[in-house]
Amino acid sequence: MERYLSKHFATPDMRRLSVASKHGAYEMLERALKMEPGEVVELVKASGLRGHGGAGFSAGLKWSFVPKDTFPRYVTVNADESEPGTFKDRLILERDPHLLLEGALICAWAVQAETIYIYIRGEYFYPTKVMDAAIEEARQKGYIGERILGSDFSCQVYTHPGAGMYICGEETGLIESLEGKKGQPRFKPPYYPAAIGLWQAPTIVNNVETLAAVPWVMRLGPEKFASLGTPKSGGTCLASLSGSVKNPGVYEIPMGFPLDELIYELGGGPPNGGKVKAVIPGGSSSPILTAEEAKGIKLDFESVADAGSMLGSAAIIVVDESVSIPQMLYWVLRFYAHESCGQCTQCREGTGWMLRLCKRLLDGKGKMRDIDDLDEIADAPDGTTICAFGPAVSWPTKSYLKKFRHEFEALVKE
Amino acid sequence: MPHIEINDKPVEVPGNINLIKAAEFAGVSIPHFCGHPALSVAGSCRMCQVEVEQRGRKSLVIGCSTTVADGMKIFTDTEPVKKQRRLVLELLLQNHPLDCPICDDAGECSLQNYYMDYGLHDSRMELEDKHHKHKNIDLGPTIVHDAERCVLCSRCVRFLREITGTGELGIFGQGMTSELSGLPGKPLDNPYAGCVVDLCPVGALTDKDFRFKRRVWYLKKVPSICQECSRGCNIEIHYEMQRDYKAPGKRIQRLKPRYHEKVNEWWMCDRGRYSYHNVDAPNRLVVAQLRKSNGHGPPDIKLVIQEVAQAIKKTKEKHGTKSIAVLGNARSSNEDMYLLQRLFSKHLGVHNLDVTLKSEPTSEEDDILRKADATPNRRGAFEIGVQSSKGRLSGDEIVRHALSGDIRVLIVVRHDLSRALSEEQLRKLGSLDYLFYLGEHVGTMTDISHGAIPMAMWAEREGTYTNFQGRVQRTTPAFPPLGQALPEWEIWKMLAGEMGLTIKAKMPKDVFTDLTRNVAAFKELTWEDLVPSGKMLAWVPEPPHRKVQTSTPLE
Repeated sequence: MERYLSKHFATPDMRRLSVASKHGAYEMLERALKMEPGEVVELVKASGLRGHGGAGFSAGLKWSFVPKDTFPRYVTVNADESEPGTFKDRLILERDPHLLLEGALICAWAVQAETIYIYIRGEYFYPTKVMDAAIEEARQKGYIGERILGSDFSCQVYTHPGAGMYICGEETGLIESLEGKKGQPRFKPPYYPAAIGLWQAPTIVNNVETLAAVPWVMRLGPEKFASLGTPKSGGTCLASLSGSVKNPGVYEIPMGFPLDELIYELGGGPPNGGKVKAVIPGGSSSPILTAEEAKGIKLDFESVADAGSMLGSAAIIVVDESVSIPQMLYWVLRFYAHESCGQCTQCREGTGWMLRLCKRLLDGKGKMRDIDDLDEIADAPDGTTICAFGPAVSWPTKSYLKKFRHEFEALVKE
Repeated sequence: MPHIEINDKPVEVPGNINLIKAAEFAGVSIPHFCGHPALSVAGSCRMCQVEVEQRGRKSLVIGCSTTVADGMKIFTDTEPVKKQRRLVLELLLQNHPLDCPICDDAGECSLQNYYMDYGLHDSRMELEDKHHKHKNIDLGPTIVHDAERCVLCSRCVRFLREITGTGELGIFGQGMTSELSGLPGKPLDNPYAGCVVDLCPVGALTDKDFRFKRRVWYLKKVPSICQECSRGCNIEIHYEMQRDYKAPGKRIQRLKPRYHEKVNEWWMCDRGRYSYHNVDAPNRLVVAQLRKSNGHGPPDIKLVIQEVAQAIKKTKEKHGTKSIAVLGNARSSNEDMYLLQRLFSKHLGVHNLDVTLKSEPTSEEDDILRKADATPNRRGAFEIGVQSSKGRLSGDEIVRHALSGDIRVLIVVRHDLSRALSEEQLRKLGSLDYLFYLGEHVGTMTDISHGAIPMAMWAEREGTYTNFQGRVQRTTPAFPPLGQALPEWEIWKMLAGEMGLTIKAKMPKDVFTDLTRNVAAFKELTWEDLVPSGKMLAWVPEPPHRKVQTSTPLE
C-alpha cells in the first residue's frame, strides 16, 4: 500500500527542517501562496477530505463557512487527541511536525488567518517539545512570521499545552480552554466556530491528521487524492489499531479499506489463537460491533454507520473472547464519569450514576433491575445536552447492554 | 407579533422572547433552574425541555434558548417532555441530601416544587452510593453554601460575572464532583451579595441573616419601597409575628427585592436588604417624652403636641416667625412633607424650613442601583417646597442660628444632630427655649430635647415617596406602629388642630389627594395608580429602559 501521511514516519530526523526539506516540505505552501485563497478552499473541497477528529465533516466546507470581512481570524489545530484508543496524531507531531505546520499554514492562507494555535494535549510533553523546535526552525527559514516566502502573507504559530481534560478536544471546549477558561463546551448556538470562535472571531478548528493531509491534497491534486478513498471520503486515514491483535499500531489505510484485512492481515489477528468477540471501530465513544456485525465492513464513514456504529477517529479496538464486556464498560464509564465537564444535568449526574450501577453489578451486588436502570439512565444524556459528550457515553453503553446482555445478567447472583 | 400554539391553544406573543416567557402568555409555566431573564443563557440544567413542532416534525428543545417563531407549535405536556423532566429531577435528586425538613428554602424551593409537580418518583439510588460534597461553606460575611443541595445552575456565578463584575464564585471540578465554590482569599462580600440567595433556585445558598429563623410558609408579605437611598427599590417585607418566642420583638424576618423594570429590575443592595433591623430595634422610641413631666409615667402625645403649640404661639408673638424653625427630613413621605409645608409655610408663615444637613449619612453610589443620596424622598421635598431655597435659611444655617440664639423654637424630624455638633454645642442646643424632637429611636436627641414624639417607621405606615427619577411609589403597612408611635402626617395634623388649622384628611390617601390638587408636579396622580409600579411626576418623562447590567462579563 502506498503511504502518504505516514510516508516519512520512519525517515530518521524527519523533524529537522534540513531533512524534511529534502523530502519536499513547504513546497506545497509555496505553491498555495501563489494561488488565490478561494482557490485553495475549492481545491480542498473537491478532494473530498473529511475531518479525522471524529465527526467526519468536510474540511473544505468548514473553511468556506468563514464570514466575509470579519477579521482577525484564527486557525486552531486540535492536537488534544484524548479519545481512548486513538494515538495517531501523536506520531505526526513527533515524526513529521513540518507536514502539520505546512498543512496548517496552507489552511491559514486559505482562510486568511494570521495566527495559528496548536492546542496539544497536556500529557504530550515530548510532542510539544518537538513541535516547538520545528516551529522555531520554520520561523528562521521564513516559513512562519512576517511576509512568508516573500508574499504579503504573515502568520504566527504558537503551541498551547492542554489543561488535561477530554472535553477540551471538543472544538468549543478547546476554544474556551485556549482563552484561559475552564474547558467546557460552549452553549450552541452559535453552532460553528468558523463564524464565532476564539475570542468571538472566526476560527477554523481542525484535527492534526486533517491538516497534515492538506499538503498531500495539493501534491496529488484533488482528483488523485479523492480517488484514493471512496466517492464520499477522499484520501487515506491513519487507523489506530489496538486491543487483542498481534501487531497493534498506527496503519495508514485508504478510506474504505476492509476491516477484516486490517485486523487479520495487518494486525495479525488475536494473539494466542483467540477469537474476536467484538470490535469497537471508532474509539471508546462509538457503539460496539459484534464479530458478526463487523464482518465484511469497510472503513469509511458511511459503511461503519450502516453497520450501526461510527468510524470516528478510526481507533479500532479489537476485543477477543477473553475480555469481559461488563468490565470493559466499567472502564469506559469510569473514564466518562471522570471526564464529564459537569455543565448539563443529564451528563454530570447520569455518568456518575451509570458508573455506580455498573460497579454494583461487577461487585456481585447487582439486581436484574440495575441492568434495566443502567439502560434507562444511558438514554438520559443522548442528544439532550450541550455537546456530543452525551451521545458519546450513551451509545456505547446501550450497545454493550444490548449486544452482550447475557454477560451482565450472568453477574446477577439472585 | 408571532402567532404560536401552546398545547394546541393559539396565542399571540411578542417577538424575540424565549419559549419560557412565551408560555407564560398562555398561562403555562415551563419549569427551569438555570434560565434567568437577567443573565446570559447557560442552557445546562436541561429542565425546560419542551417539544416544538415545525414543518410537521416534533423535536425536544430547551425553552430558555429557543426564540419564538411564527407558526411554532409548542407542547409542554407530551410523554417525551414528561419523561425528560422526570429524568432530570431524578438525576438532580440522586445525590441530594433530601434534608427539606431543616432546609431554609423548603417551601420556596424549585427542586421541591417541581418534584411535587413532575417527579413523584421513588429514589433508585442506594444510600451508601450517594456522593457527598462539602456542607456549610462560609462564602462571605452574609452567605453560606451547601454544595449537596446545589443543582449547579450557575446563576450565582453568572450574576457575579455579568451584573456586579466581581466574579467571586466559580464551579470547580468536573463531572459528578463539580462544586460551586469561592476563591481563596476572595470572600463574597460585594454590595449585592445577597442577590445570589434570591437567584438560587434551591437551598444551596442561604443568607446568614435569615437562616433558621422561620419556615417560609409562615411569612406574610406586603409590597413596599426601600428607604435606604433615593433609588427607591421595590421590595417586599416578609414578616411574621405569631412565633414571637423565636426572636422576641422581631416582626420583620427579611426583605426581598420586587421586580421593577425601570427601578431595580430583580435586585437590591445589601444595605437595603439588611436595613430592616432598626424597625424592631430595642431602642425604638415608643412613648412620648416631656422634660417638665411630673414623673408619673410617660405623658400623653397630645400633651407634648399642646406644649409644642404653646411654644410656637408664645415665641411667635414675642419674637416673630423668624425665631421658629423646622428641620424636616427627606426620609419623610410626600404626605408628611405636604402637611408640614401647609402648616408652617402657609398657615403660620414660618419659612425656616429645610430637610438637608451636610452631616447626613450618605450611601456609596455605583452604576447598578445605589445612589449617593441615602434618603428616599429628597425629590418630593424639592417639589413640595420644604427644602430651603434662595433667601431662606438652609438646614445647617438653621442649626447655627439656633446655637447663636436667633432661633428659639426648633423642631427636628429624625435628624441626629450629634453627628455634626460637639457635646458643648449639643448642651447649648438643649438650653434653647424650646427643642422638640420627632423621631423613631432613643438617643442623644431624645436626651437633649424638651419634648419627644414617637414616630411610626416606614414599615408600619402607608406613604408615598418620590425617587430620584421622579417616580412616586407607595408603601403598604405591614403591621401597626409600636407603642404610642404615630405616622408623621398625623402628628402634623394634630399640631395643626392646636394651631387653629383644621385638616380634614383621615387617611394618607386623603392627604395625597389634596397634595395632587395643590402641588403642580403631582397633578393628575391618583393614590390607586401608584401600585404596583409607581407613576412619574407630571412633565417628568419615563426614563428609557436601561438594563442594569453595566459591567462587562469577565473574559
